[in-house]
Amino acid sequence: MQQISAPFAGVRELAASYWNATELGPVDTHCVRIGGHVIELRFGTPGLVKCIMPAFAHLRIGPGLASELVVDIWDSASTGACPPPIFDVDRDAPAGAFYFFEDESMRGVFQPGMRALSAVDFATDHAWYFVEDPAALPYWERAAPIRQILHWWMGSRGHQQVHSGAVGTPDGGVLLVGKGGSGKSTSALVSLNSELRYAGDDYTMVSLSPEPTVHSLYSSGKVHAENLTRLPHLVPALSNAGELATEKGVVFVDQHFPDRMIEGFPLRAIVMPTITGRTRTRVRSASRAAALAALAPSTVFQLHTAGSKALEYMARLVRDVPAYVLELGANVSDTPPVLLELLDDLKGAAS
Amino acid sequence: MRYRVNHPQVINEMIDGEAIIINLVSGSYYTLDSLGGEVWELLEKSPSVDDIVTQLSFRYDASDDVIRSAVENLLEQLSREQLIAPDDISGAASSLPSGSRSAQLLPFRAPRLEKFTDMQDLILLDPVHEVDSRGWPHASADAYSN
Repeated sequence: MQQISAPFAGVRELAASYWNATELGPVDTHCVRIGGHVIELRFGTPGLVKCIMPAFAHLRIGPGLASELVVDIWDSASTGACPPPIFDVDRDAPAGAFYFFEDESMRGVFQPGMRALSAVDFATDHAWYFVEDPAALPYWERAAPIRQILHWWMGSRGHQQVHSGAVGTPDGGVLLVGKGGSGKSTSALVSLNSELRYAGDDYTMVSLSPEPTVHSLYSSGKVHAENLTRLPHLVPALSNAGELATEKGVVFVDQHFPDRMIEGFPLRAIVMPTITGRTRTRVRSASRAAALAALAPSTVFQLHTAGSKALEYMARLVRDVPAYVLELGANVSDTPPVLLELLDDLKGAAS
Repeated sequence: MRYRVNHPQVINEMIDGEAIIINLVSGSYYTLDSLGGEVWELLEKSPSVDDIVTQLSFRYDASDDVIRSAVENLLEQLSREQLIAPDDISGAASSLPSGSRSAQLLPFRAPRLEKFTDMQDLILLDPVHEVDSRGWPHASADAYSN
């Protein structure tokens, strides 16, 4: 990962492209509240609303509160609007390739794989998210849209986006951390059938003060098709049931389990699921170093410019709460009661 | 020869005496146990091998030769992983505090570096490219006049 100093002269062009799109139709404005911050999403083209808003449905608020960040969102395919200037890069670049730039107040990234441009102007708390064609947005972007913008801007407000799932109750909850295939998403999504409430399965936001706190970002959950037999309650809720040969199944939890979402909770523990092949599911204490190793590298490598400061932030978080390994047994439905018991024990120990 | 941590391509944090180290270029990350963590903290002060051996001999119950062999082995591993590099700037003087041998010496065990490569695929799938010196491209103003 590299921090780049490059002249950024794109604000005028970005704004011009957005306003060009809005001349062709009405602006559709939606407000969300993330970690206490009101963010205004201004859709210059209607086609992107259904691509982006399902992931934020649980965080929507009505108009009337002053927004702290405005994000202008538009495309060119549905309107014929002139796109902003974008890099002439290899169209065969890997789907996740990043072309990253920053200067004194601007930071941005162009992702040629999905022809998407994200940029934030920290001086004016204004961001732009442009895609050429909403139909080309991959499922993972629909599940976790404008992630880089939120990572950068929320970071400027003292929060840290992390690669983790999170479940809990209003009294407190856990981060579920670990590399892909560790059981993180399954542990989060199986909790929809329990008293635990869902704050995300892949990306969440955390803050350190006044106490370690988890903030939900997305209502989405992703599941491998082969895991659906163990999570049958998700099958009727799949948003892309016809695409499972090439995509993970995506569920927008708020649409199908609206009472199971939670905007956030105090963080009580960091939990590392691991598949054991044993019968019984249980938790055991783990070192904080193991927790940091499970949390930090995947966060750092997935969120660009998340370097030493992000690592330091996550280390402070890990120092503040205990860490556990969640040894997953044969029956995934055993997971929620084990996590609830852990939360009860931690609550008892704290009181 | 003195050594330094290979910042900025290497970032690290200490937690409960252990080190978590990430090589941002290769995509590998590492953990160092508590004794390795002690060596890593010394490496932040650009020590020589002699400096490290001296500091550890104050605290651990082992001969200088045993400690030296373990330290050289660890430094070789860290160098191979490009986590540390020769320090050509710091000069010859030690920046480490002088000390004395502790009355209660701890048992010595060779420091252990553990390497994880599961993030390397992410680097290949999601490579990060630099914007070149021309910066962000400009479009002509005429492009927005319609």
